[in-house]
Amino acid sequence: MCVSLTPSEPGRSQIESFLSKIFPDMIKNYIKTAYRSLTKNKAYSFLNIFGLAIGIVCAALIFLWVEDEVNYDSVNLKKDRLYLVRENQKYDTYVFTHSSTPGLMGPEVKETLPGIANTCRTSEGGITFLFSQGDKSVYATGKYADPSIFSMFTLPFIQGSASKPFSQYHSVVITEAASKKFFGNEKSVIGKTIKVDNKQDYVVSGVVKDLPANSSLQFEWLMPFQIHLDGSPWLKPWGNNNTTTYVELKPNADLATVNKQMLNYIQRHDPKSLGHMFLFSMNDWRLRDDFKDGKMTGGGQIEYVHLFTIIAWIILLIACINFMNLATARSEKRAREVGVRKVLGAGKNSLIFQFIGEAVFMALIAAGLALILLTLLLPAFNLLVEKQLTLGLNKSTHVFALILIAVICGLVAGSYPALYLSSFRPVAVLKGIKLKDSSAAYIRKGLVILQFSASIILIISTVIIYLQIQHVKSRELGFNKNNLLEIDLQGQMAKNYTPIREELLNTGHIENVALADHSIIYGGNNTNGMTWEGKAPGSEILISQRYVTPEFMATSGLTILEGRNLVVRDTGRPVHMIITKSLEKLMGKGSALGKTMHFEGDTTMATVVGVVNDYVYGNMYGKPDPVMFFVASPEYNTVMYARIKPQADIQKSLAEIQGILKKYNPLYPFQYRFVDDQFNGMFQTEMLASKLSRLFAALAIVISCLGLFGLAAYTAERRTKEIGIRKVLGASVTSITSLLSRDFLQLVVLSCLIAFPLAYWKMSLWLKGYQYHIDMQWWVYVVAGMLAIIIALITISFQTIKAALANPVKSLRSE
Amino acid sequence: MIKITDLEKFYRTEEVETIALNKLSIHVNTGEFVAIMGPSGCGKSTLLNILGMLDDPDGGSYVFNGVEVAHFNERKRADLRKHNIGFVFQSFNLIDELTVFENVELPLIYTGVPSSERVKRVEEVLDKMQIMHRRNHYPQQLSGGQQQRVAIARAVVNKPKLILADEPTGNLDSSNGNEVMELLTDLNEQGTTIIMVTHSEHDARYSHRIIRLLDGQTVMENIMI
Repeated sequence: MCVSLTPSEPGRSQIESFLSKIFPDMIKNYIKTAYRSLTKNKAYSFLNIFGLAIGIVCAALIFLWVEDEVNYDSVNLKKDRLYLVRENQKYDTYVFTHSSTPGLMGPEVKETLPGIANTCRTSEGGITFLFSQGDKSVYATGKYADPSIFSMFTLPFIQGSASKPFSQYHSVVITEAASKKFFGNEKSVIGKTIKVDNKQDYVVSGVVKDLPANSSLQFEWLMPFQIHLDGSPWLKPWGNNNTTTYVELKPNADLATVNKQMLNYIQRHDPKSLGHMFLFSMNDWRLRDDFKDGKMTGGGQIEYVHLFTIIAWIILLIACINFMNLATARSEKRAREVGVRKVLGAGKNSLIFQFIGEAVFMALIAAGLALILLTLLLPAFNLLVEKQLTLGLNKSTHVFALILIAVICGLVAGSYPALYLSSFRPVAVLKGIKLKDSSAAYIRKGLVILQFSASIILIISTVIIYLQIQHVKSRELGFNKNNLLEIDLQGQMAKNYTPIREELLNTGHIENVALADHSIIYGGNNTNGMTWEGKAPGSEILISQRYVTPEFMATSGLTILEGRNLVVRDTGRPVHMIITKSLEKLMGKGSALGKTMHFEGDTTMATVVGVVNDYVYGNMYGKPDPVMFFVASPEYNTVMYARIKPQADIQKSLAEIQGILKKYNPLYPFQYRFVDDQFNGMFQTEMLASKLSRLFAALAIVISCLGLFGLAAYTAERRTKEIGIRKVLGASVTSITSLLSRDFLQLVVLSCLIAFPLAYWKMSLWLKGYQYHIDMQWWVYVVAGMLAIIIALITISFQTIKAALANPVKSLRSE
Repeated sequence: MIKITDLEKFYRTEEVETIALNKLSIHVNTGEFVAIMGPSGCGKSTLLNILGMLDDPDGGSYVFNGVEVAHFNERKRADLRKHNIGFVFQSFNLIDELTVFENVELPLIYTGVPSSERVKRVEEVLDKMQIMHRRNHYPQQLSGGQQQRVAIARAVVNKPKLILADEPTGNLDSSNGNEVMELLTDLNEQGTTIIMVTHSEHDARYSHRIIRLLDGQTVMENIMI
């Protein structure tokens, strides 16, 4: 790769004659000069435009992502008035903020609190049912919801109507996509029946438009909440929190007043409840969903939005700096033009206008190139960030934003060169006096340092983010997540658990099988209602409760440290349990074996018969929270775990499992998940940050190097005569190469000195956000610094070696 | 046309102050052809730059066409300059990105001459300089003599009252140099005042009067017959 910076022959083109028709003479002359200067110095123009285009591409991708994030839930016209009811529960060590509420709360607060216009309850999370029509069966995930959901959220009906969404008790509203999934391309599906979970027929009473990907509310189907309420008596006590409640405030309602009324509302019905409700605005759902001590921290996804916005501007700035540096570095070439124009009567302002105009012109070309690159790159970027972003060039805001970015780049990039060039004194430049370049050279060096500092900070951050994620991912969880299969317990599986287990073990590929009422890796039911002898009065400790079959410990890989495993006999009374090590410590000194625990206000004693090691669940960055295990008969469980033997063929084992389940549970298609996949899924945000920071760090380096490459070329060109003389006097190629490289290396080393403390400060803060994190690694800095130096060296070596190898006779004669 | 009195110009570096023009007084009449000579560093170019309003004096008076211009600001000077003065340089100073035609056209653009008028005047002057056939070439494609003829065409296209020439033949061989001097003489005969800095006694002989400078002062004036 070798770029020649000598001019090539320009000529009048069609573009020029087109331009000449639409602009006044002066501007026409400027455009002409700019265009010819561009085409004459192709390498220089390429470096500038390409660098700027990459910068604009980066910024545009980031801004598209930011726009999507910021507009989360904006599909809802009532966004400003919609709230999610959340609850704070205060414990000894922390405040637990969640969004589970009592099942009867919604309708009641609507009646009693005047500020509330409407409420809507939904079941929690997503429920997956099997929908069958004839012999076609598919799974679909949705929720039970009050009909008010259709007036509160913006859910346009394609078939059916919002005024009577559920036509009867067993009716279902589905999305367009679900309709396609269930009925294919049939146009009218209202009134059709569909069997749900092989039990109950439901009538389709409405089809709504698909929800955009950036909507918090996601479902394929909605069924009347009343069905859920009637079938789940545990929703009714006010002490139980297991319903999601949304609130729509009246337009003039005062949020603070309503919050005050909500605060102790649950206590009217259940004075012992720890739950204190408050409203959480839809505007904050996506971006500011981070709570500490029961209060919004203001953090959450918004931090990434801010971070990436800053990175976008930094990358643009790096690209602009290239422009400034190259423009001032080659100012000598333009100096005569400036001189002549001044002599012929051009004022300083008109020259500033000319040079800034040139920069804007170039930036607009770069924006055009960026647009082409964006079209090519957007699909890959969408895959990376798992979004469906579009360029949206039909939106005037997008077009305007792109032009604005280009113009800002042009103004920023062109301002300094314009001021610098237009200040040339014609007397000096026309006489060919060597320009006193010192101030410009200092600024140029400063700008290079700025570029490289930013790049080095990005490299360091990237490596540290990567290390942190690897650190957590390789964390000893306390159980073995590998080769562990999770299958929803559906249909006849619970009833046939024993024969299913037998047959699975008989395949020889399955090590163990167990049931549980919760996914092992996620958080789940917990209680603060347990007490024991020696527990400090008033102390609130949150303990997770898990129901399992006795094989669970062996299947999941938990180790029994003391006592014995649970057995089937432990089902029912007397209550026996296994606790984790951390709970044993909370229960007092020494072994917990034989100690008892009970619910406050209940005399039933649970006796500890065994202790297992702590394990991480819920928050992979947190410390393992205490757990108690009880035995439950199969029908109380919800998932089945099967551990595949390490040496077994996974595909073959899966096929065997499928065959066995088909035999005992013929109506349900086989669906499974691997626990290590679930584990990986818990790092989505961090993985995204990691992937994006890697991408942007690489691009920042590329852009910086483009600039350095051009700068090195001009330096070599400037010093051609000096190099010739040195060679004539006996300098070697090596000594000349190192002479030319030294200046640039000094800049990179200086950049390291600036970047290191800044990166240290920023990344220490970031790591502090995680309880379980790596220590700052000094070698990362060394590697980043070395990397920057090596990349810079390689970049400039093309030019320095070329200059050093040049025949001195030639370079001296050309003077 | 030009009357300078006690003109002073200093160049200062951190340690030394150099006097470029030392209370210099010169008078040039309309229609004259004056050559300025002297050794390197005598202040010839400084004088020419001040006369051309590219530089401002540190003291003294400069009256151009009856107007005191010594303390004009840059904009006023630029304005006066573009309507009244044409420049010819030793190194031609053509803009590489512009064709012959466009280079000559440039002063007319800056003085706001309408397009059709510009074409007429540029063609006229190119014709006169006998480089019409090169109108669409770029400066690099021309010989030195041709480039200087373009530069002169550019200097005169605005019909200036005064042409300032700074060693116009310095980069040319003798036959090209003589051609350029003939051109300047023609222009002078048509009424343009010319002030020329030169090292060449040969060139100086084309002028009416030679002003010899030494250390920023006039040491001798020769009237040519």
